[in-house]
Amino acid sequence: MPATKILTKEQVEGNVKDVFNRAENHFGRIPNLVKVLATNPSMCTSITDFLIQSLGPGRVDWGFKELIILKTLRVMGSFYSYGAHERLAMELGVSEDKIGDLANSIWKSSPHYNEAEKVVFELVEQIGIDANDVSNELWDRLRNHWDNGQLLEINAVITTFIMIGRVADTLGVSDPVLFTKDVV
Amino acid sequence: MAQLPYIEPEHADPVTKEVYDKAEARFQMVLNIFKITGNAPEIAEKMWEIFFEILREGQITWYQKELLILKATKMGDCLYCVTQHEVVSARLGVTKEKQEDIVGVEYQTSPHYSEDEIAILDLCAHVVLNPEAIPHEVWASVRKHYDDGQIVEIVATIGAYLQVSKFGDALGVELEPVWHGHEPVLFNVEPPASKAAQRHLDHFLSHSPQN
Repeated sequence: MPATKILTKEQVEGNVKDVFNRAENHFGRIPNLVKVLATNPSMCTSITDFLIQSLGPGRVDWGFKELIILKTLRVMGSFYSYGAHERLAMELGVSEDKIGDLANSIWKSSPHYNEAEKVVFELVEQIGIDANDVSNELWDRLRNHWDNGQLLEINAVITTFIMIGRVADTLGVSDPVLFTKDVV
Repeated sequence: MAQLPYIEPEHADPVTKEVYDKAEARFQMVLNIFKITGNAPEIAEKMWEIFFEILREGQITWYQKELLILKATKMGDCLYCVTQHEVVSARLGVTKEKQEDIVGVEYQTSPHYSEDEIAILDLCAHVVLNPEAIPHEVWASVRKHYDDGQIVEIVATIGAYLQVSKFGDALGVELEPVWHGHEPVLFNVEPPASKAAQRHLDHFLSHSPQN
């Protein structure tokens, strides 16, 4: 049971009801994280809208974004919704091999990842160690594979799921399923 | 060194421009961290809404949120965030002595901190280090002073500043010239643990007018 109470759709009104509807339209359901945030309408609305923006098609392939999220959750030791993101990645066409090879340093020698993907996992690991110490050389290699908008999105996805993982883990939120299958 | 271009207002698309206008109205300038998100307007539009909501009175006070921001970003060695929020928190009434005592565990015995402030700073430290290790006593102390909606705001503020601090630091976002000459408070009490952050601090101090 979360540290703070969960509000259902029937218990909310106004802006929170609107954001519940947006979440339901996007995910096919209302994630428990959204329901837990609902006792604070401004936090619930702004964080949910950013979550909706983050989880979906973007400048970077959505399936790869899910791999970035999974690697970020691993690096940060975060428990929130790992299984849901594994399931979502697979529904988006990511192979079980790729998901398995995310673990520790296995991705570095994995035949299932290309250089463009590997350099992003280097960034994830470095942000986990020390975000102040991402080298110019690593950024040069990132720029060899990704454009400015994609790099902004990659950096946003990594750091957003540091935030989401921390908030959800602190409040004790569980979301074993994020999306219903029919909306992916 | 910033790793992506800052998108200046005159080159921003309409969505980004709207975000910049809102930022300027609230903070009297468009900070570099806003300008770098102009590389992906759809992200800027949603990401900054969280911070527009945090940086105002809410279910907890802006003053309380500034304490959380200072604590969380100091623990993450974010020079960019700490410098700016030393100034913002001072404007809201957080004294230099109080800022200094937020470092480490000094706040727990400091005469400048009340019991309700100590409770959320203890929670903050655990959230930054490892939420799985939050002791029962910390939750009990937080619940003694705050209701559910306030707890959500406390945790969201900590989480959001973990996000934006790592976002900006990884991208090498630089402090704007307007901050040059600001004498660090928190990093004077305790230097950055990160050698890279210390290099950033040295570089920043080299731009101070006396240098």
